[in-house]
Amino acid sequence: MALINQSSEPVKTVRKTRSVTINPPKMCQPMGAILAYMGVHGCVPLVHGSQGCSTYPRYNIARHFRESAEVAVSSLAEDAAVYGGAKNLTEAIKNVKSRLNPAAIGICTTCMSETIGDDVKLISKKALTPGDTMRIFPASTPSYVGTHLTGYDNALRTLVETLAVKGEPNNKINIITGIINPGDIREIKNMLRLMNVQSIFLSDISETLDSPILPGGHKPVLPDGGTNLSDIADSANSLGTIAICRTAGSAATYLKNKFSVPSLLDPAPIGVINTDRFVQNVCKLSGAMIPDEIIKERGRLIDSMVDVHHYLYGKKVAIFGDPDLVSAIVRFCAEAGMNPTVAMTATKHKDFAPDIKAVNSEYRTDTQILEGTDLYEFHEVVKTHGAELILGNSKGKDVADDEGVPLVRFGFPVYDRVGVYRYSIMGYNGSIYLLDLMTNAILGHKYDPNKLHQ
Amino acid sequence: MTTILPECDIPIPQRQPHIVCHDPENMVLPMCNVQTVPGDMTERGCTFAGCRGVVGGPVKDAIQLVHGPIGCAYYTWGTRRNLSDTKLHRKYCFSTDLTEESVIYGGAKKLLNSIIESHELFPEGKAVFVYSTCVVGLIGDDTEAICKQASEKIGIPVIPFHCEGFRGVSQSLGHHIANRTLFEKVVGTAEPQESTPYDMCIVGEFNIDGDAWIVKPLFERMGVRVLSVFTGNASYDDIPPMHRAKLNIVQCQRSSTYIAKMIQDKYGVPYINVSLFGMKQTADALRDVGKFFQLEENAEKVIAEELAKYQPMIDQYRKRLDGKKCFIYQGAPRAWHWMGPMRELGIETILTATTFGHKDDYEKIMEKAKPGHICIDNPNALEIEEYLIKLKPDFFIGGLKEKYLTYKLGIPFINGHSYEEGPYAGFEGFVNFAKDIDVAVNSPVWKFINKPLEVN
Repeated sequence: MALINQSSEPVKTVRKTRSVTINPPKMCQPMGAILAYMGVHGCVPLVHGSQGCSTYPRYNIARHFRESAEVAVSSLAEDAAVYGGAKNLTEAIKNVKSRLNPAAIGICTTCMSETIGDDVKLISKKALTPGDTMRIFPASTPSYVGTHLTGYDNALRTLVETLAVKGEPNNKINIITGIINPGDIREIKNMLRLMNVQSIFLSDISETLDSPILPGGHKPVLPDGGTNLSDIADSANSLGTIAICRTAGSAATYLKNKFSVPSLLDPAPIGVINTDRFVQNVCKLSGAMIPDEIIKERGRLIDSMVDVHHYLYGKKVAIFGDPDLVSAIVRFCAEAGMNPTVAMTATKHKDFAPDIKAVNSEYRTDTQILEGTDLYEFHEVVKTHGAELILGNSKGKDVADDEGVPLVRFGFPVYDRVGVYRYSIMGYNGSIYLLDLMTNAILGHKYDPNKLHQ
Repeated sequence: MTTILPECDIPIPQRQPHIVCHDPENMVLPMCNVQTVPGDMTERGCTFAGCRGVVGGPVKDAIQLVHGPIGCAYYTWGTRRNLSDTKLHRKYCFSTDLTEESVIYGGAKKLLNSIIESHELFPEGKAVFVYSTCVVGLIGDDTEAICKQASEKIGIPVIPFHCEGFRGVSQSLGHHIANRTLFEKVVGTAEPQESTPYDMCIVGEFNIDGDAWIVKPLFERMGVRVLSVFTGNASYDDIPPMHRAKLNIVQCQRSSTYIAKMIQDKYGVPYINVSLFGMKQTADALRDVGKFFQLEENAEKVIAEELAKYQPMIDQYRKRLDGKKCFIYQGAPRAWHWMGPMRELGIETILTATTFGHKDDYEKIMEKAKPGHICIDNPNALEIEEYLIKLKPDFFIGGLKEKYLTYKLGIPFINGHSYEEGPYAGFEGFVNFAKDIDVAVNSPVWKFINKPLEVN
């Protein structure tokens, strides 16, 4: 087992030394790739693999977003293991196209199709007839490399590589979302609207995975919403790219290298300083001024932090999840006066440890950094370093229950509470919501009610 | 011609033999148990799902170790609601978490270490079940040899399941692999501590939302000793003595008839098929078992007690549900298990579909179906949507993946895979089922579906 640092020693990054992984809060690449494709208007995700490789991610999407999620699969079987999967993939493309007439098909590969060595790019190219308007995105997303975040990043970069074309400057900024919730995307759009900045979202699940029931209508297999292909093509002509999640940032790097679109890869906009940075970045790229309404939102966040600082000061909080969200929340917890004891992510990322070390040195906190590990280890470190509150997705329930502390749910997937996908924890407004969730969780858990009358 | 080609399938006419409109004069069964049409938006899963998710997964004190990249382990971690009275198999997820290096150089060492470490960290595990995923079959790890070596080292059984997702056409092969593996490697490896003339196994009962906790006591009250439940809330130690049962009853006749038949062929233990859903079918099952063990009077007594308690409740629900029409889309057996019980509530099933049914499943559906009943094999999202719009059932019993598609159409829905507020089996469970249908159909939320916002 990994060494646990005593608080007097400098914090090291803890990595799992076991062979077996126990309770991993991470999924495989196709899961993330499907989410990236679901944010593209008229795009059908197509998994090139066994049938479980589409069914399981669909199930996960359905239980988190409480929405249908239609995904095609090439249904690879034994014959493909011997002869290759080209026949299945070609037929799958043909069938999806003839039945749904989509604007695009987003392919994700799997451990099976990658191991048998199918040339997905070539097969996709051959499947299109001359003059075809339908586009195919041939992302390589082997399940044995990286995590769901790697899959999101690979699919998003493939989208941009396939579509982006140099044209006239569009005076817009690109926003790479990463795996965040529809509520978060709406909040970021709201901020950009207040700042009067035009944008292209790469990609945008805010409508496709949070759709209304409207009279006489229903949710089509190709739902309303999502970013149009023409807008993705236009991303090459933007003023710059901001990645909300840096784990999804390789498309930004591609646009920078290929089309000289500046990119700003900074922490996710959660809390005061990180949201400030986001606003500053938007201003830097667009030349926009900060409007009064944004100043007021920021003021309300600070007001709310002042209101609750007695409740939160020194409270031990352990956080797990995807690295961009965890490191940003660690900073926010520190800003609010809490004591982040453990920060854990299963997906390794170069910015994770430096982000948290920076918080530790600024706030004199001693947050343990767990990277590329699992919830079994997270739990062990929580036991030694303490937590009065746990933040994470639904997989944190058992740790929280065993420790007898509340769990505030964020991230993906959250299936044991409703509505988490609808609300934002980003921007000044979203940070207020997260702060209130944390405070109310503490007040609702064995807190002396006599102290709450005034 | 009684097969149908729905509009959405015009570009893929090979779907036509899978969709049948029932005509007793000219009966045709849907084509089944064949490869899915690639790209048809199937709802099917894989062989791994059938083996790990359905049959092996419920064994509560086995360390369920998935050998492969992380996804397959994650997606089967506590998802299917196969409850137990310990937490090991739902609380913990074990995986060798294979990465590129293992795909190139093999995952044998990682598997061996993972088995040993899991045992060290969780000594309460009575056995280790090792499930192979797609990539393991392709890179050719000798899991048999590794499991044997590991078992010798840690002193508990380590059972390899060769359930790579790409094998077969659906989850169904995974059920078969799990049955065969457990029969060949586990059944008969130990004798029961004691034997009675009334020993019986309940086979194909996975304790979904507590079903086994409802049905097992019914038989025990009759004087039958339930030797094992295969595999709902089962301990590993419940499986070896299954061969000493006097009778096996089979509830899920798709996933588990295999083991009942193998035990019959090798050990001469007879089995009978049962449907432990609905009042009549459950009573029939109790009577059949009573007849076998010559405990008829006991069976009648239990049935009378149960009916006295629960039939009045069912009668009340029938008043609220009479005349409704439903769709049932399940893995396979529950489609036909539930057609009869629906009639006890005054509900007619106008469409059935199964994900991985075989010929015998469709025969059982057709035995119960009225003329004009639509039956679909391996339906896909577009077909389901088309029939929901066309036939407008009062409610749909399906699985989570279909739930929200159905809701958006304004049609009430029941999760038949893991249930809403189950258990649904037995007499008492049928009251829960009826209640959930009543809640779904009679909730006021539906009246807003087509109500526009009007400005006077």
